[in-house]
Amino acid sequence: MHLRKRLWHLVVLGLAGLALAAVAATAASSKPLASKASTIIDGTTDTVTNIDPAGNYDEGTSVVDLMIYQHLLGYPQGKKVPSPELATGCKANGADTVWTCTLKKGVKFSNGDPFTSADVKWSFDRVIKIKDPSGISGLLANLKSTTTNGPYSVSFHTKTPDATWPYILTTGAGLIVDHKIYPANKIVPDSNVSDLIGTGPYKLTKFSSGQQAVFSVNSNYSGPKPKNDGVIITYYSKSSTMKLALTQGSIDMAFRDFTATEYGALGKTKGITVYQGPGVSIRYLVFNVKRAPTNNLAVRQAIAYLMPRQDIATRIYHGEVQPLYSMVPKGLPGHEDSFATQYGDSPNPAKAKQVLSKAGVKTPIPLTIWWTPTHYGDSSADEYSEIQRALNSSGLFKVTLKSAEWATYVDTLGKQYTAYQLGWFPDYVDGEDYLLPFYLTGNFTSNAYSNPQMDSILKKEQGAKSTPERLGYIEQAQALAAKDVPIVPVWQGAMLAVGRSNIHGIQQTLDPTYIMRFWNLSKS
Amino acid sequence: MAASASVRVQRRAIGLRRALAPIAEARGFSRWMLIAGSAITLMFVILAIFAPVLSPYAFDQYQSNGHRFAQLSRPGHGHILGTTVQSTDVLARIVWGAQTELEVVGLALAFGLAIGVPLGLVSGYFGGVLDRGAVFFMDAMFAFPPLLLAIIIAFLLGSSVSSGVLVAALAITIVYVPQYFRVVRNHVISVREEQYVEAARALGAKPFTILRRYVFFNVVQNVPVIATLNAADAVLTLTALGFIGYGVQPTQGAEWGYDVSRAVTDTASGIWWTGLFPGLAIVLLVTGLTLLGEGLNETINPVLRRRAIRQVDFDAPSFDAGAEFYEA
Amino acid sequence: MSQGSSLKQYALTRLGLVVPMVFVVLTIVFLLMRVAPGNPVDAALGGHAPQAEINRITKQLGYDKPLYVQYGKYLWDVVRLHLGSTISDRRSVSNIIEVNGAATLELTFFAMLVAIVVGVSVGLISGRFRDSPVDAGGRLFGILVYATPVFFLGLLAQLVFGVWLNWLPTSDQASPITQALLQTHTNILFVDAIIDGNWSALWDVTQHLILPATTLGIVYGGVFIRLIRVNVIRTLKEDYIEAARARGIGERNVVYRHAFRNALVPVVTVIGLQLALLLGGAVLTETTFNWPGLGHYLVLYIENRDYAAVQGITVVIALVIVAVSLLIDFVNAFIDPRVRY
Repeated sequence: MHLRKRLWHLVVLGLAGLALAAVAATAASSKPLASKASTIIDGTTDTVTNIDPAGNYDEGTSVVDLMIYQHLLGYPQGKKVPSPELATGCKANGADTVWTCTLKKGVKFSNGDPFTSADVKWSFDRVIKIKDPSGISGLLANLKSTTTNGPYSVSFHTKTPDATWPYILTTGAGLIVDHKIYPANKIVPDSNVSDLIGTGPYKLTKFSSGQQAVFSVNSNYSGPKPKNDGVIITYYSKSSTMKLALTQGSIDMAFRDFTATEYGALGKTKGITVYQGPGVSIRYLVFNVKRAPTNNLAVRQAIAYLMPRQDIATRIYHGEVQPLYSMVPKGLPGHEDSFATQYGDSPNPAKAKQVLSKAGVKTPIPLTIWWTPTHYGDSSADEYSEIQRALNSSGLFKVTLKSAEWATYVDTLGKQYTAYQLGWFPDYVDGEDYLLPFYLTGNFTSNAYSNPQMDSILKKEQGAKSTPERLGYIEQAQALAAKDVPIVPVWQGAMLAVGRSNIHGIQQTLDPTYIMRFWNLSKS
Repeated sequence: MAASASVRVQRRAIGLRRALAPIAEARGFSRWMLIAGSAITLMFVILAIFAPVLSPYAFDQYQSNGHRFAQLSRPGHGHILGTTVQSTDVLARIVWGAQTELEVVGLALAFGLAIGVPLGLVSGYFGGVLDRGAVFFMDAMFAFPPLLLAIIIAFLLGSSVSSGVLVAALAITIVYVPQYFRVVRNHVISVREEQYVEAARALGAKPFTILRRYVFFNVVQNVPVIATLNAADAVLTLTALGFIGYGVQPTQGAEWGYDVSRAVTDTASGIWWTGLFPGLAIVLLVTGLTLLGEGLNETINPVLRRRAIRQVDFDAPSFDAGAEFYEA
Repeated sequence: MSQGSSLKQYALTRLGLVVPMVFVVLTIVFLLMRVAPGNPVDAALGGHAPQAEINRITKQLGYDKPLYVQYGKYLWDVVRLHLGSTISDRRSVSNIIEVNGAATLELTFFAMLVAIVVGVSVGLISGRFRDSPVDAGGRLFGILVYATPVFFLGLLAQLVFGVWLNWLPTSDQASPITQALLQTHTNILFVDAIIDGNWSALWDVTQHLILPATTLGIVYGGVFIRLIRVNVIRTLKEDYIEAARARGIGERNVVYRHAFRNALVPVVTVIGLQLALLLGGAVLTETTFNWPGLGHYLVLYIENRDYAAVQGITVVIALVIVAVSLLIDFVNAFIDPRVRY
């Protein structure tokens, strides 16, 4: 008994001592473990699905993929059009139905396997064969077959004339894998890290889903050596924890995504810089053109006149986004501010009132606008409050805001909603990818919009023979889009990244191609 | 006839006084808890009922006299507790939030009791296969992480029921019904063996009469305590739902848990007033309710409580039903 | 001997009830998830792909089949222990249980330690000095601490210890480099670091554990305080305590050796139950501190309507909770024959 009591006392004392020592030591050394000299530690709130390129169709995974795989044509830093990566060039036949690419010689995968046309054919074939539920195979919808002509030439046969096939090659569906390792009909699971072989600047050495991805330099890489020894991407579920980690120094930089308030605060923090470059993500308000009251063109036009873009950009997002006047964002060739042209660049209640009275619509019009709380960022609540305030204060509308969490939201919007929030991130950076998904009959927004005139313009655009011709069609489409106004574009996001002062090279990689080129970043 | 009516009334009055006597006799910490708990809870109830009068602004008001409020302004002139990122007044959201919290919790309690108590009574008294089945089903519900159950119910109902308050109330109801059921049932089981019940049965009283006259009144004495403690827990569950984003949506009302979740990004940037005040409000309300519940527990039912202590029933996860099922 | 056989009877009855109970949980989860609007394909591709493509994929995954067909397939899979893979991030459910379950285990274990230390010490003292200011203080502390939502406490902890004082890390199980270099043995980083003999890693992991475990532990400690206190009071009233005093045993001995020890017995029960609940997912703590635990992931999967993930994880959690309650009930039935029925 006596002994036991003594023992108990000892244990308690011991634990107390340990605790005290812990607190003292932590107080003394506030820095986490010293990092390996030149490994860049990046934080992100993205998630990763299947790293195997045939199995993913999301931004978070593409960041990982771009580290370890390459395309035939890609976007090296500074280039804004599809440029040689694994191919030296691609040419179309007269009808734009066969694209032939010449491949680079002497390229090796990270495991030493040589890269040949067999790998290209294998990669494209398996994307189509596997038809992964992520939907990535949809990008290759126009691909009829892939043929090889010797080890260094490959031809793509499309179903219909496709002037923009090279852009498809730059998407995630066009990443090249090793035909000796990747099965033709199955995805390589993320747990088989050693099988996730590519030709890119890094190889994946460790992957814990939802926690971190560790990359080391690929010694067989055919391009210029990366400016660092490796990268660790750390995954966070909340941006606030990521922010704390950044300010404490546990991570060196963060790419995607902080809230507007957090960017603002980070910009004012010593030792940390917020880098901003041209962006390509957009947000917009969609109308169902068959349901009242948005089935009335005048109602839609009135909302277009009242959209408070500047307020949203400055007050809600503190300048990290810019007002958007067309679904094709600024910075892309063919962009036209068609909404500014037709509806003015700031809210115009007088004109809105005019168009409504001309159409004989009684005001105030009751309208329910839907938004979703987390999928498009926490500031959606504030953004849509702002829109509600603008519409209500004009006296012409009586807006009720409603929200639903993402899975419910996306399932119900086509069936019930009249006005709702959506956002878009491009598959490839060209005006076409901002028109086809929204304005064709049967478009992705489920808003029942269908205009044969628009369909024919877009069909002509896809089959255009020269760039000026294609751009002409893109401009026409934007003008018609503003006239019919089934969608009101609201803002265009910038490409933002935050880094501590010891990370260099971030600003240069921020461009409309939206690729974070970790291999060009260095750490001092 | 008239005489027996007034006798009945007299009897009721005496019975009431006897029932409430322990409260007046309470001493020491129990008395303090009762007073403090009632005061705090009463304060929130007043805030909730008189919100339109007491609150400086509406919960989503962002301007006054055509002049917009500043965003995220420090506590000070015009906005005693500061403003949020949407330019709404923090104090207003606290006051209106009290209404939301009490509304939801009140509804949830009412539903939970309305379902759980009768179920427990019938199940406990009649026993048999139905009882076994009900116990089994409720046990299965206990195996569920409560917060997750609430989340699933919340978005299940969210699309069909338009009132966010009702959705949250129902979600919480479903989480707590098994508790009421279990407590009432266990109590009924012990009471039904009492001699006076047996005597009533021997006298030929019908089961429902017994339930109504003897068992119910006996068992229901336990309920206010459990209800109050559960109310405390329900507030925590509601704010947890709001924190995760499945509670009452911001456009339908002010909710403290949601406000804290929005304040998380503010706090990491040094803006403390948007999160501290809603958080403190939660702590205060739950503390008030718990003090009230504990105080009641110690004063009204000293006899019952001792019995409960002796039979610390390991079958029921807690004899303070309110405690263990808050999902942290 | 009759006691022994009725214990066996009790054990078998309870064990026998486990399977149907899990079955009920499974069914409830299945129904709730399927009845809820939205499906994983929509959640992943809504607004980003043509409806025709979404329909094709829905069909490919079998979500368009009638409910009872899907239910049948689901049951058949569960019986064969084919828990499947998630749709949103393509992990096998068993991998999720292994990796993230271990993380939750690590957190809840240390949180439990904190809760016990705080709860037992305050509870014992409170009970011993019943109705004194010390008791009042202890009880008030218990109430206040439990009234504080975990996410609020976590927020404050991060603010004070992470931002203002910069003493402790505020998220994750370990710093990125440590995590990258640590070999995976049990997925419980604390244990892995010990196995490796990597003391700097162990230190790093411990630092990361402090805030989340303490936050979660203190809140649950509040519950323990109440329970221990009540038991101490009850025990001190017992006859054998009177007898001990009458025999002339010193008050200190009476309190420490007899009362406290006996007061702690039911604690084991409650610890077990609390552990089960904690394991069910310390969702809020994990979310606040970016702790890669099961509850945190479960919420994410619910958001994405990832049927396989939600069903698989919920079943495992339910099994654990049922198993632990079972164990505790056995222990109690062994001790207290009145409990068996």
